[in-house]
Parts: sequence; C-alpha cells; structure tokens
Amino acid sequence: MPQVKIIAKNFMDMVAALPALKLDKLYDNTFICEAVLRSLPPLAKKYVLQMLYVDVPVTAKSMEEWVLADGFSKHRVAIDRLIQLRVFLESTDRKKETSYRLNPKFQGNLQKYLVHGGVLPRDPMSSSITVRLPTLEELESYALNQWECFLLQLISSGQAEKTTNFSSSMIEVFQRGLLSQRGKEAPRLTESGFQFLLMDTNAQLWYIIREYISNSEERRVDPADLISFLLELSFHATGQAYNITTLNEVQRSIIKDLADLGLVKLQQGRKESWFIPTKLATNLSVSLSDSSSRKQGFVVVETNFRLYAYSTSKLHCEILRLFARIEYQLPNLIVGAITKESLYSAFDNGITSEQASIISFLQQNAHPRVADRAAPAVPENVTDQIRLWETDLNRVEITPSHFYDDFPSKDVFEAACDYARENGGLLWEDSKRMRLVVKADIHGLMREYLQKK
Amino acid sequence: MASAPSKQYSDDVSLLMVLLDTNPFFWGGTNTTTGVLSFSSFLTHVISFLNSIILLNQLNQVVVIATGFNSCDYIYESSTSEAIIVNSDNGQMPALCSKMLQKLEEFVIRDEQLSKENSPTGIVSSLLSGSLSLALCYIQKVFRSGPLHPHPRILCLQGSPDGPEQYVAVMNAIFSAQRSMVPIDSCVIGAQHSAFLQQASYITGGVYLKPQQLDGLFQYLTIQSRRLVPDMGMICTPTDPHKPNCATYP
Repeated sequence: MPQVKIIAKNFMDMVAALPALKLDKLYDNTFICEAVLRSLPPLAKKYVLQMLYVDVPVTAKSMEEWVLADGFSKHRVAIDRLIQLRVFLESTDRKKETSYRLNPKFQGNLQKYLVHGGVLPRDPMSSSITVRLPTLEELESYALNQWECFLLQLISSGQAEKTTNFSSSMIEVFQRGLLSQRGKEAPRLTESGFQFLLMDTNAQLWYIIREYISNSEERRVDPADLISFLLELSFHATGQAYNITTLNEVQRSIIKDLADLGLVKLQQGRKESWFIPTKLATNLSVSLSDSSSRKQGFVVVETNFRLYAYSTSKLHCEILRLFARIEYQLPNLIVGAITKESLYSAFDNGITSEQASIISFLQQNAHPRVADRAAPAVPENVTDQIRLWETDLNRVEITPSHFYDDFPSKDVFEAACDYARENGGLLWEDSKRMRLVVKADIHGLMREYLQKK
Repeated sequence: MASAPSKQYSDDVSLLMVLLDTNPFFWGGTNTTTGVLSFSSFLTHVISFLNSIILLNQLNQVVVIATGFNSCDYIYESSTSEAIIVNSDNGQMPALCSKMLQKLEEFVIRDEQLSKENSPTGIVSSLLSGSLSLALCYIQKVFRSGPLHPHPRILCLQGSPDGPEQYVAVMNAIFSAQRSMVPIDSCVIGAQHSAFLQQASYITGGVYLKPQQLDGLFQYLTIQSRRLVPDMGMICTPTDPHKPNCATYP
C-alpha cells in the first residue's frame, strides 16, 4: 500500500512547486501577489516591503547586515522562501557575488496596491437583482452542512443523504490514501484517513483542495489557472453575490465543484445567476489553522468511560463509532462508551491513541462546559487507560536476531559477548550455558569475528 | 502527524494605532519650518504606509486618530466592515482614502469651530494627551474582547511642539501604556525634538525617530515598523542617538 502522508500542506507550497514560467504568469494578478506576500514568514514580508522601492539588485552580503547575529537562521529561511516563490530573483555577477531583486511584476503590483489600497476582484451585484441573500449565519451553516455531506460521502458512500455532483472517479481520487479496501470488504479507514477526520475543517479543506489541484491536469484544467482562481476567490467578500457571467468557461466549471464543497453557494434569480462565497472560501488563503476558527466542542467524557456527544451530525457519529461503542442516539445527543473492544478495533485500523488521534480528538472537541473547567477536559483515568490498552498491544517487540551456542571455551564466549556489545547488537546472554542472541544486522560481523578466532 | 507548518506565522497580527497631528497652526506653517512637507503629501505617505500594514496580513488592524488643536477623534478603523464595501460607488478613490479624508475634513471643521472661542497664545500644541488616551482606550477594548488579540502598537506622528500644560496627562498615558506593554513609536516631523515623545518611546520600548528627509517619510515609517512583527527583535532597528533625560520638567 502506498504510504500517503497526510499533512495540511500550505497552499503556497503548491504555488512554489509550479514551473517558473507559470509562476511568473501568476504574478500578473494582484491578488496572487497579495496572497503570496501574506503567506510569507514575517521576516520575509519585511524584506519585500524594504525592497519595494529599490530598483537595483541588493547584494546578499548587505542584506545579511540587516539582521542581528541570532536571527541568521530565520534570515536564511526567509530568503530561501522568497527565492522559492520567485518573489526574489537571484543573480550572480562576475565577482561571484550573489544579489537579489524583487520580481518586477510582483513589485509593480504591490506598488500599485500601496497607492490604491485593496480592492475587490469583482464588484458585488446590487441588492435590487439579488432579492434575498442568505445571512452570514445561514451561509455558514450551509457551508458546514455541505462540507459534512461531502465528508460523509467520502468515508462511507452509503451513509450520505444526498450525494454531491462529484463523479465517482473524483471521489475515488479523494479517497486515495484515506481508505483502504481489502478484497471485497467494505473499504476501511486507514490511519491517515482517521487523522484526516480529526483535523479541523480548514486543514481538511486544504487536503481536498490539494488533491483537487494535483488531479486537475487529468480533467484538462491548468493547475495554474485553478490556483489563481482559488486565490482570487479568497479575496471576495463573504456573503456578497457575484455574477456568474464574470467568470470564464473554466472557472464556471470549477465553481460548481466548489459549491459541492461548500466554498460557494450558487443561487439563481429570474435572469441571472450568481455565486456567494462562504467563509470556507475566504479563509482559503489565510495562513491556516488559526485557532480563531476553532469549532465549538460537543463531547463530554466521564470518568466511567461514558461518552456523551451533543451533536446532530451523522459525521460525528461515524467518527465516534470508529473508537467507541455507540449505545443510543437521541435527536441531539449521541451516547456511547469507550471500551477495550471498541478501542482494539480502532488500533487494529492503525489508529493510535496519541498525537492527533483519539485522545487529542476528545480533548479538542470537548464540550465548552467541560473545556472551561480547571480539570482536564478528558478525565485522566480515561486517557491513562486508553494509553495502557494501547501499550498492551505492543507488549511484544519482535527483533530479527541470531542465536549462538556451542562455544569452545568461556574466553571465546566472553570475547564474543564483548564484541557484540561494542557493536550495540547484544540482546541476551546466558554465561552459564554459554549462549547468546544478537541482532540480525550484526550477524555478518559476528561471523567474521568468530571465524578469525 | 506534523501540524500545519503555517502555525508559526499566525501570531504576527498587529493592531496599529496611528495618531495623526492635524494641528492647523503647525501645518499652516506659521510656527515652524516644515517647508518640505505639505499636509497632503504627508497624508499620501501615511496612507501608503497604512496600506502596507494591511497588505502584510489580512488580520492586521489599523486605527487612525486625529490629534487636533482642541479635540481628537477616531478617523478610521480598518476593522469595520464598511471599509470594504464603500469603494464600489466612487470608482477612482480607494476605500481607505475616501473614508478617511471625509472623516478628517469633518474633524478639522469641528476642531476649528471649537477654537474660535479661545484664540491661541504662546505655544500652539496639539492635544497629544487626549489622543494617546483614546488610543489606549481602544487597545483596552481590544484586550478585553477575547483571549486572542493582535499585538497593539501606537505610532505618534507629531509635528507641533509639546504643550507643557499637558505634561501630567501625557506622562500618565505613557505609564499606562507601559503597564499594558504597549510600545509607543514616535516619528517627529516638526522642526524640534519632542521631549514628551522621546520619553514615551524610551519608557515603553518603542522607537523614536526624527527623519532627516521628510520626502522619504514612507521609507522611514516602514523601517520603523519593522518591529511590528514579533520576529523583529532580530532586525537592527535604527534608533535616534538622543536618549531622553528622564526628568524633563517643563
């Protein structure tokens, strides 16, 4: 099985991975310049500002003088990032001196920004045409609903009430790495799949968008176009209506997919149709995982291992079912218990108790009443027990090794023991009966050594 | 699993309070030798600077307070949502400018009306103590709004001379800024140094700057604002060699 590592990788890493020519073309768009600048580390931002009105290359040496000695590693990181994103163009002169200058397109766009201030990518439609726009709360719940619906379809296709318009091949692309199918069994969530479900919405969105972009070439959409459109979208005002006719052909097909993900809401008037960006869209270019976007928790865990989840969401129920025994479900409450058996089945799927897994899920989603208490959100005896049950499974550690006996004399045996110890491979010795066990990887060395004797 | 790598940058959000000196006696040039810098070109520099702050992080907030002769008032808040929507009606003028200029004009007129009653004699200083207090009030409001708040900072753009009668009030404001760990940066555009602001910056750990060439004000402001971002302890910041003598009694 290919190992797919789930990392909420930054959008900008994808931008940086584009070929230079395409990247330069992207910088024609002011919004991209803006988004790229905002994604930079603080020091790099300052450098850009510093260089904004400098038209000649600045030597690397003089830039190094801008920082104090202990900031040098950050300086390196900043410069590397700037070059990676082609915001700084590197040049070397005859004397082998490196110097940097701002990408002229980037520079021009930012200079314009400083004079004119931020503007919106397109003007919102007047309220006379769009009769009733959803309120921000409605829009947010719409977005979350849509997203949840999509996730549910992703993890268990049968459960979703209404399916999205994504083709099944597209869904399969998204599922790659998250689910694994053994033979004819129903697909099961892999470890990374579980971690995916535990990430916050923004991070999940990134993962999906990333897959969506990397798959774009198969749908004959230029990734650069897609990226620039997504970035541009994030500069629209949440809750305003924008006319669909302002989009080009490619963008119109993209926007339908985005509506499925809950990034935009599509509405139709008598003649025209428009799209309304939701919070998910406008957060796209934001340096992610801001704690400000934390959702409200819903889980209460008691010291008797009972678990109460105040949630109406099917998705939450599915997630809890992964590691807890669901006992009954009321309209707004899911009651379950964390049992040894339920946890074993979770561990069996490769889900671990630590790090971004069960315990942290319970802690992150703790109900505000519990979270605000001074005591830990999840009772200590429960977390300890979960860890103990997990270590129970790992009681035996298997190390490939070799067994030696029949030593001719005590001296040879002891020398062999010492030799194995020196090489860090001695696992066990029994000096009475002159037997020893060494790790398999030093077996070769041992044999050579013993033959020499 | 590695957490999102961008986490480390999420804390570079700043809240910048800019105190603009709008004292007509200073800008009218009766009192000082500004010469080089007119009020309009001063505003151009400042607006570009404000744009650059907003450009750096979409969560950055900028608040502008006008320091007049008789009064002071909030002129512009970037966090209010109107700021974004306004700009579509008057094509040319960017939102920030149009809104700010309009409020500024209203303010100057109001300020002028107040001054008719008492004609100025002696030193014509601006109401620095008042605008410092306004800025600190605003910051307190932000502090109390929730556990997560941006790094606040006050930037005084001052041209008029210090008003001795405000000494106690200004010092109180400075100490309260020090207590709430709000650095006060100052940029003096008038002819002489400001002892008040030297102290303010010194006590609160801000940067005091008196630009030599006022037509490069924007660049001065960007260099000075390097420390807006937490990392900036790393950067060499220019400081004025003038150390204030801490007991300056007027």
